[in-house]
Amino acid sequence: MSSDEGLLDRFVDRLPKNPLFKRVASWTLVPFWARWTPVKPLPGGPHLAFEPGDNLQCMMNLIMPLKIKSPIGRAEAALAIAQNKDAIYAGLNNVGTVHFARFVIVGDNICMFSVYDGDFTNYIRDFIATIGSVFNAVVELVEGGDDVVPCEENVEAFIQWVHERDLYQVPDTATDFLRDQEALNGDKAASGNDNLTLLPRNMVLQLRANANVSLGSGYRAYPGFSVAQVRKQLRIGW
Amino acid sequence: MSAVFDLADLQGNILRGYRKPHVRYLILEVADRIAARRWLAASISGRDHGVPQITTGNWGAVKPDTCFNIGLTYEGLRALGTSSSSLEMFPNEFIEGMTARALKLGDVGPSAPETWPSPFDEPGRIHIIATIYAGDVGQLDQVQQRALDRNALTLLGTREGYNFRDDFVHFGYRDNIMQPRFEGVHDPQRHADGQPRAPLGTVLLGHPTNLEGLTWRVPQPAALGHNGTFNAFRVLKQDVVAFEEYLDQAASDLLEHAQVDELLPPDAEAKIGQVMSVEGRHGALREIVAANLCGRWRDGTPLALSADAPDPNVNRANFDYDRESRCPYGAHIRRCNPRGGQIVQRVANNSRRLVRRGMPYGPAYDPAKRDRDKPEPERGLLGNFIGASLGAQFEAMSCDWLNLGLQDPRITGSNDPIVGANDPKTSWFDLPLKSGRTIRLRELPRFVWTRGGAYTFLPSLSAIRFLGSQMM
Repeated sequence: MSSDEGLLDRFVDRLPKNPLFKRVASWTLVPFWARWTPVKPLPGGPHLAFEPGDNLQCMMNLIMPLKIKSPIGRAEAALAIAQNKDAIYAGLNNVGTVHFARFVIVGDNICMFSVYDGDFTNYIRDFIATIGSVFNAVVELVEGGDDVVPCEENVEAFIQWVHERDLYQVPDTATDFLRDQEALNGDKAASGNDNLTLLPRNMVLQLRANANVSLGSGYRAYPGFSVAQVRKQLRIGW
Repeated sequence: MSAVFDLADLQGNILRGYRKPHVRYLILEVADRIAARRWLAASISGRDHGVPQITTGNWGAVKPDTCFNIGLTYEGLRALGTSSSSLEMFPNEFIEGMTARALKLGDVGPSAPETWPSPFDEPGRIHIIATIYAGDVGQLDQVQQRALDRNALTLLGTREGYNFRDDFVHFGYRDNIMQPRFEGVHDPQRHADGQPRAPLGTVLLGHPTNLEGLTWRVPQPAALGHNGTFNAFRVLKQDVVAFEEYLDQAASDLLEHAQVDELLPPDAEAKIGQVMSVEGRHGALREIVAANLCGRWRDGTPLALSADAPDPNVNRANFDYDRESRCPYGAHIRRCNPRGGQIVQRVANNSRRLVRRGMPYGPAYDPAKRDRDKPEPERGLLGNFIGASLGAQFEAMSCDWLNLGLQDPRITGSNDPIVGANDPKTSWFDLPLKSGRTIRLRELPRFVWTRGGAYTFLPSLSAIRFLGSQMM
């Protein structure tokens, strides 16, 4: 096949690998593309699936900018988690569908990463019902959080607020990514105009619109099991 | 029936059913905004000619001959000119509509909204679903004629159902046994059922919900949202032939099973045969399978109370699922409402309850009249699943409980055996035995297919008055 390619084809194909070209493209080409073909940020959370096993051990990745961007703000966030440790354990125990919940401070953001079973809205709603006070303590430190606390009185708005902050999970295959992008634009036919051997333009533009994403939906060393299946198998009660 | 609030502000089929033998759904599009608002105003005007009057929850000592109620889709509220500040306070699932929630509801493959027949193939045009309940078809026709105002509304289609004798439904089970009982509402037809009374917020916006301290957003102004509720209207096709054939196959397989005597003790065969009018060991095993799939024997006896054979003398409503219960964890009624039984989401016990109003459609299946050369006529259920939060009740039940089995690790990864989106290649269902062991049934096909539906808002009378006013 390479013998059919002209000199120009080969030159263009090599361009994306050239450091100088990459830099120039980031400054000029990408903003131009973005104006030419505006891209909406793709919605976050796991990809809707119907096979039961696909709906276990789903990932939630929240990166929430703190209101107070200083060591004091970060310390407040650290304290909010430490002071609520017991409530968090009680919540995990009573909600019963969350494998792990992790809180991390990166820059002036508090990040909440969790692995849960089943439907996202049910997970958040059950947590609000069980330990809404913990959500309130964290979210009131976050930009835009005042609009949705106390979460107990703003259930629908709070769930939506969290969903909007849940990172887009970039599919592992470029075709799935392009399918998401087309679905968002209401386009069901495959576009066919993206060369999947190169860095797809749509992916560059999506990462411009949506700077923080999750790569893949988490990789497991074993098939999906629910929290209760694990606990039952280990005989620690569920 | 009495209550601490004004029953006359509620539509009449929310807190109790009319128990009329015939129902017809009129699926309507708003043709003209002003005329449609006038139609709404006329429906609560108190004049008994012209537009049929909305039946309220306070129907007095004598039940009316015919009942008339309405539900509005999000597109319908828009078509009526509801302000955007009110519209955006409605919950997401209602705004998006049933078709957008297909994956959560198991509406995939041949149940997917893209396959639904008219008028459900154009969900954006479905604005109002009006429901007529009556004693006979003649009355349905009369009320329909009065309801249709060509200037205001376009009739997109109808669906019609009727009750079978003794509340039996297509798969041969007795239905109409359970409904939630509500706090502060005295209903002489409902007796203690071993479950706590549901707070009013289970079914009406603006009242306390079952999740302590949580309230659902009430669309404003209060006249529009307060005392309203949501309905998942579903046209559910039932494949009775496939269901009966599955019972045949499962019974034949079980006859060969090593533990069949534990499943069907010798003395139970005669009793099952007598109550259910079936013959022989195969006939009894068919009924055992049917009973386990549902959680009730087909005469309505709960397995939780009588696992070996149906018992016409037990209280069909009053029971719970304790550790010794021999109702399968995956049985249909246990999945839909696990009552006080142990579930994974402890906070969710009793929180996903729904008011159900349904009637069969299509002819009852008669094996004697079956013509194998012709396709069976379509039959199924016209179901209404009513609750104050579609997301927290109907959808939560559909996706996590019916089609994932998240509530119990022993059923996780399986679908509801009767209404679930089963695929014979992967489906399974465990029949519990007295010893605690189980026999696993496999290859259950999908028995129930979605053939249409819509999420509607069931407005209070105040809301109908508000929507009908020209001042909006």
